[in-house]
Amino acid sequence: MDSDRAYRSGRVPLPGPGDSWQADPPGPAAPVRGQGIRHVRRMSNWTAAALIVGTGAATVALAHQALPAATSAAGTGAATGAGGAATGGAGTAAGATGPQATHSVATTSGSGVTTTTTTHTVNGKTVVTHVRHAPAYHDN
Amino acid sequence: MVMAMTMMTTTSMSELAGVTPWRRIAAGDDALAIAERDALGTSARVAVWPPADLGRACAAVDRVLDALDRQASRFRADSEITWLNHGGGGLFMLSDGLTEAVGVALAAARWTGGWVDPTVGDALISLGYDRDFAAIDQQRGEPPGVPVPAPGWDRVELHGPMLRLPPGVRLDLGATAKGVGSDRAAWAARSACGPPGGVLVSLGGDIAVAGTSPRDGWPVTVADGPDPARSAAPQLVRLPSGAVATSSVTCRQWRRGGQSLHHIVDPRTGLPAAGPWQTVSAAAATCADANAATTAAIVAGPRAEDWLATTGLPARLVARDGEVRYLGGWPAAADGATLPVPPGTHVYGGVRRPGGGR
Repeated sequence: MDSDRAYRSGRVPLPGPGDSWQADPPGPAAPVRGQGIRHVRRMSNWTAAALIVGTGAATVALAHQALPAATSAAGTGAATGAGGAATGGAGTAAGATGPQATHSVATTSGSGVTTTTTTHTVNGKTVVTHVRHAPAYHDN
Repeated sequence: MVMAMTMMTTTSMSELAGVTPWRRIAAGDDALAIAERDALGTSARVAVWPPADLGRACAAVDRVLDALDRQASRFRADSEITWLNHGGGGLFMLSDGLTEAVGVALAAARWTGGWVDPTVGDALISLGYDRDFAAIDQQRGEPPGVPVPAPGWDRVELHGPMLRLPPGVRLDLGATAKGVGSDRAAWAARSACGPPGGVLVSLGGDIAVAGTSPRDGWPVTVADGPDPARSAAPQLVRLPSGAVATSSVTCRQWRRGGQSLHHIVDPRTGLPAAGPWQTVSAAAATCADANAATTAAIVAGPRAEDWLATTGLPARLVARDGEVRYLGGWPAAADGATLPVPPGTHVYGGVRRPGGGR
């Protein structure tokens, strides 16, 4: 048979008319055989769908763990204007639930404050000495 | 100008380990608590809500900063990067923490086309930045060394924890490590405190936030230097998420042989960057991204605006003549406006969430 020759030659035949991928013409044995094939095809479809959904869920879960900042920022992008929901873990969300903060809490700047710290013991107590240098441009 | 203060304290493990204690800072808002201490040759600040979380947050930040210092400080004789830099090149197996920090530095170099380059170690040493910045002023009379262009970040290979460093190449992670530290510290502090709440961590002005921010975002002042009163055109903005960082040539200056130098080195020349910008600030999803972008912009000079536009990051550039430019949706002039922090990251995205002990 052609299909036998194809297998022996290393080729895998594609399904075509007359193959079992098509429903058989009606006949004495056709109903039972056709139901079995349809059942297998339905199961295959459900299996494929389950695999797709499962793979997608796993990808989303892994991406969420691997990209915390991106995830949190994505969550916040919408929240910037409208106050979105908090993202999971250490992500950040603009605060629909956060408190009101009216005073500046930090300064972003060039890092000019530097400190030298030395520690020694005097009369049984630890003395910590901090020598702080103001930014050099103050001197200039 | 040098200010010195001495504090008598009781002995504690943190002090014996050379860690300065946290000082409580008046927040001005009852709903927040703020503390600050010296760290990494600069200052660390933690702001949290609810205020009861402050102790846990500071403890978590301590663990992160201690680990980062042991991994990436060029000025510690016992740090891992000092071990690398004195190894004469070769193949090294890194700790998880330094693997991540070097990986971020190389990603930043790739992203910025080499304007940020971790192989500037010898360039900085030649200019005189060979010790903690606090000790540099004592050498003002000596002339700077011959400029040493960076060998090039693309000569460094990192495969997992294995680092291949060519002979004669010394690393400096200054353009990214503080940002990495802020990101790690903010995430670690947030994880330590649990919901609800939020935390802001600033390392020398490189700021990362995690958790839920105060309404409309964390209020942050943008300035040239740590003292906004002495800065040109300070601005108040609100940071709802992610991070904001600033690079400036007005800080960390020193003099050698009558020449004024600063710490942002152009890898191509081995000299301090001499472009038109004195201060650049940027907001990003991570502080490592923001820090890399602002350093790159200082080095890029006249090409900074075009490059920043391609990144989509909100940025604020202050020229040496005082002119201020706003890019990427950074709010112009208006005080108290919210920074539109974009999602996504270029340099710190593929890493797992750091814990406090890394």
